Amino acid sequence: MIEPLFLEGVIKILFVFVLISAALIISTRSLASVLTTYTVQSFLLAAVSFLLYLMEGKSELLLLAGLTLASKVLLIPHFIKRIEEKIKISRDLNFTYLEPTTSLLLSIGLILLSYAFLSRVFEAFALSKLFFFGAVIGLSLTLMGMLVMFSRRKVITKALGYLSMENGVLMFGIFVTELPFILEILIIIDLIILVLLTSILAVGLDSSIEEYRKKIRRLQVWNGGEAL
Amino acid sequence: MNTSFLLFALLNPAFALLAAPLYMALIRKVKAYAQGRKGPKLFQVYYDLRKLMHKEAVYSPTSSWVMRLTPCLNLTALLACSLFVPLIFVPEPAGGFGNVIVFLYLLALERFFTALSGLDAGSAFGGMGSSRSMSLAAVIEPTMVVAFAALAFVLKSLNLHEMFALTAGSLLPASPTLVLVSISLFIILIVETGRLPVDNPATHLELTMINEAMILEQTGKNLALLELAHAIKQLLLMGVLINTILPIGLSAEADAGKIAVSALLFLLKAGVLAVVIGLFESALAKMRLFRLPAFYMMAFFFSALTILIEVFA
Amino acid sequence: MLEALAYGAVFALVSGTVLPLLYRSKNARQASFGLSLISSVLLLGFAGTVLYTGKEPSFPAFGFLPGLDFTLAADRLTAGFVLLIAAVLPGVSIYSLEYTEHAKSEARKALQAALTSLFVLAMLLVVLAGNMVGFLIFWEIMSLSSLLLVLHDYSSEENKKAGFFYFVMTNISTTFLFLGFISLYRLTGSAEFGPLEYPAGALTLPFLCLFIGFGVKAGLVPFHKWLPYAHPAAPSNISALMSGVMLKVAIYGFLRFLLAAASPELWWGVLILIAGSLSALFGVIYALKESDIKRLLAYSSIENIGIIFIGIGLYVIFRVEGLETLALMSLAGACFHAFNHALFKSLLFLCAGSVVHATGTRNIEAFGGLVKTMPATSALFLIGSVSIAALPPANGFAGELLLYQAFFQASALSANPLLTVFMVIALSSFALTGALAAALFVKLFGITCLALPRSEESRLAEEVEKPMLFGPAVPAVLCILTGIFSKQILSLAGWDIEFPDLLLLGLLLAFIYAALFLAVRAKTEIPDRISETWGCGFPALTPSTEYSSAGFSEPLVMIFKSIYRTRIVHRPEYFDGQESLFKNGHVEIRLLRFFEEYLYIPPALAIDSLSKRVAKLQNGKLDSYVLYAFLAVLTLIIATGVLV
Repeated sequence: MIEPLFLEGVIKILFVFVLISAALIISTRSLASVLTTYTVQSFLLAAVSFLLYLMEGKSELLLLAGLTLASKVLLIPHFIKRIEEKIKISRDLNFTYLEPTTSLLLSIGLILLSYAFLSRVFEAFALSKLFFFGAVIGLSLTLMGMLVMFSRRKVITKALGYLSMENGVLMFGIFVTELPFILEILIIIDLIILVLLTSILAVGLDSSIEEYRKKIRRLQVWNGGEAL
Repeated sequence: MNTSFLLFALLNPAFALLAAPLYMALIRKVKAYAQGRKGPKLFQVYYDLRKLMHKEAVYSPTSSWVMRLTPCLNLTALLACSLFVPLIFVPEPAGGFGNVIVFLYLLALERFFTALSGLDAGSAFGGMGSSRSMSLAAVIEPTMVVAFAALAFVLKSLNLHEMFALTAGSLLPASPTLVLVSISLFIILIVETGRLPVDNPATHLELTMINEAMILEQTGKNLALLELAHAIKQLLLMGVLINTILPIGLSAEADAGKIAVSALLFLLKAGVLAVVIGLFESALAKMRLFRLPAFYMMAFFFSALTILIEVFA
Repeated sequence: MLEALAYGAVFALVSGTVLPLLYRSKNARQASFGLSLISSVLLLGFAGTVLYTGKEPSFPAFGFLPGLDFTLAADRLTAGFVLLIAAVLPGVSIYSLEYTEHAKSEARKALQAALTSLFVLAMLLVVLAGNMVGFLIFWEIMSLSSLLLVLHDYSSEENKKAGFFYFVMTNISTTFLFLGFISLYRLTGSAEFGPLEYPAGALTLPFLCLFIGFGVKAGLVPFHKWLPYAHPAAPSNISALMSGVMLKVAIYGFLRFLLAAASPELWWGVLILIAGSLSALFGVIYALKESDIKRLLAYSSIENIGIIFIGIGLYVIFRVEGLETLALMSLAGACFHAFNHALFKSLLFLCAGSVVHATGTRNIEAFGGLVKTMPATSALFLIGSVSIAALPPANGFAGELLLYQAFFQASALSANPLLTVFMVIALSSFALTGALAAALFVKLFGITCLALPRSEESRLAEEVEKPMLFGPAVPAVLCILTGIFSKQILSLAGWDIEFPDLLLLGLLLAFIYAALFLAVRAKTEIPDRISETWGCGFPALTPSTEYSSAGFSEPLVMIFKSIYRTRIVHRPEYFDGQESLFKNGHVEIRLLRFFEEYLYIPPALAIDSLSKRVAKLQNGKLDSYVLYAFLAVLTLIIATGVLV
């Protein structure tokens, strides 16, 4: 049996790396690196839930770890990699509203905000420090994912931002909510993402939103609410 | 003043002075291997220093006493610094030596005068080096201070000797947060010693030089002193990192046998770290100058998170 | 005995004020500065005794107006700031012996000498004032005498603007002080500076008023804009006094209130810490871009005032949280830094005055090579730069070290995690400030004194006269001594704080340096050689190939480009209405003066338009005035009817 205190220490370290991976998704310019970072982030999440399983012994956690590993570490990155190979762009250099440096500073602010907010909300619950902080990380990860979605230009980075955000939801779920419930939700969300991704794949996107819309219009997939 | 500290004050600077050039050479050797070359001999830096010491100093007619003052002053500052970082054993603290802030500001003293001497000869290279070095040093400073503050947070002391007395001898780092602090310390080590991807120690191309540009006008024995100071700085920062992450074998007693074991182990650990640094450098390309603040921001984010974890969880 | 020292100093300063006005001769002016020197010795004895023994002198009260007495008092806080005045005064007095003689006319020389003494006297009496009445009266004398000194060279348009700016800002400061003191008076019913034992919340209004009032005078961001205007206009010896002492008098006032308040609140500390951090950061960032030497030093003063306020903020926070040791450490850091800043900033302003005098320009880009032409001034300048860049073992480091130590132990606030994190953020901004200040002074000293002269004036510069060297030498020696003996000074002042012994460090550095130097010299076989700087293959190095001040700060300007926003202004004029025949125009690209354009100008314009409207009432017709009187009476009657 491994000592719980040691496991807690390792989880804390993993927390930091999860946040670092989110920060990298915000600031990295190479698309391949963003994807790798996302994969690593998902792997870290799987690791966290595995370690929690070792601590708590709930089999759902093991299941979750396996599921995350299969879908987010193997399947989804594989799909996206195929897209990246097809669209032949390797970098996303443009930022809207926020430069990476500012985003990183803002991220620290977001973490503090999540902490302040959740410490009010969970005042009544007797969460252990580790679990509470896990929730904080989950929430901040979600917010940082949103940050990616509006500050990066290329759709593919936005999609990765969304996925990272969803990782945040998962994290929050692991540490706060009842498990079976969240498990179902997560699977559904994952499926939605898969569908979304494959549809993107079908259209063949390779650039910013504006060009994407043009392309979709041309292919008559969707009118975008405007007359052609 | 106690005997343990007096012994330390004699042994530690001497050890730093003697061992520092070895790791400069070792890193070069590792980089050479990574590039498929054979590389210099392990003692090459010692030979170089000896050769330089025998050469005369050449001064520009433009330069002033600032340039003549700097080499000795820098080595002085670094030798004083070597009293702050225990390399071979941890003494009982005395007279405020070991204060982490004094340590950081002695490094700043060295940087300040190097930058001034860069401007002294009136060459555009020197000015460029000083300007870049001071600018980048300013941007990395918050990371550096926060990383050392994190160290002070975790080990509950302001004194490096007291901190490492706490970790000395244990196999693993005292707290998981220390693993994170060490990553910050590693980045600081890379930045402060002017290594890739921040600065390239092997170049003399004007566009990429930072540290080399400042000492471009230094010659002969003065250059030797500056190089030696730089090597000691690297060794001391390596020492801080090693004592944080891998304190195994570090002796907290002033006992001859234990000191010998401790020193040997340190040489070994520093060797491993030097290999890691060499490989790290080989794996990376030089970053564009104005991309560096984002890289430093990442490092800052890391150190700040470390403290957040320490405080919140 | 103790009282006699204070009276003696006051008397010396009063005669120093009167003498040059009565006799317009060089001797009278020399005597005036000599009297300042004497007063500083007396004050040293006075302040030293009070600080060391803790004995408080008693001064009789003077009846001023019925019910308003006017007293002097001195406790240890007062003594600390009197000591600060006494430490700065000798250097400035010796320097002024020669510097004042460079003024344009006899009348101006006399006026400058007299006003300098009056200014010092006013500052001294503000610090010694025992109640609010005296404080405010001397405060106004201090402001007015410094205003007249800023307007010393009143013929230039730029100086007039500077004077006006200073006048407005200083009045805003006084207004807020009046409001603050009045609200305190309403609370306590007395004009004395007594302890303020009120529950939390009762002191909010006085705190805010005094914070703004003293903040304006101390040059806290965003009320700092008068500093970079006033300093270039004022003579350098006056800049040294204003920056070195007057700003500290504002700090003194603020501390007097804070220490009296029995229950400060956490948000006060947080507010002070934020304002201090912002001042420090913005001060140094703006200074980096500056190329006017005195304006640069003015911005650097804003930075250092920020650092002092950081210390005060830390003090309040730690005190509220019940951490007495750390609170004491922060307070000691703030006071010690105030003292140190007085020394090195007066040193730097005096040296800048010498440089400006020798070259005839304030533009850093025109300096260079002064280490050859003005070796003594350059050496003094380097000591000042090393001190202000907080390098050990000079005194700038000692003060900042105390603050760093307090910051590093913020983990003691573990009961309040968010506060701890806030402290870490403040710490990182503080660290950034420190490193930027080092970069700033590498630039200032490097570009001013090193390399080749960048202009003819700088090439032909000559070393200044003896008094202008001995003057700055006094604070230079004090800078080193207070740094090295900081631990001893702190323990003499009765602060028992964990602090490394810089004396030991200094001795060690000196010893290693001497040993290395001798060893290297003994090893040298071939003598040194002089040879040209390598100029990339060009035959001779010219000043135009050197790094310039703007070039030096360019990387930082790029990194902080979101702060240095530029504004493009173009105002074309045309011959015709269709805007096709161009007559002439004005185009400029300059730094956006953010605080001035968004914070100062709008209210100024609003007041201006309001006063124009009021001015319309003044139409000069008798009938309208009678109408106003009629309306006033009518209002009065109605108001009385409603109210009674």
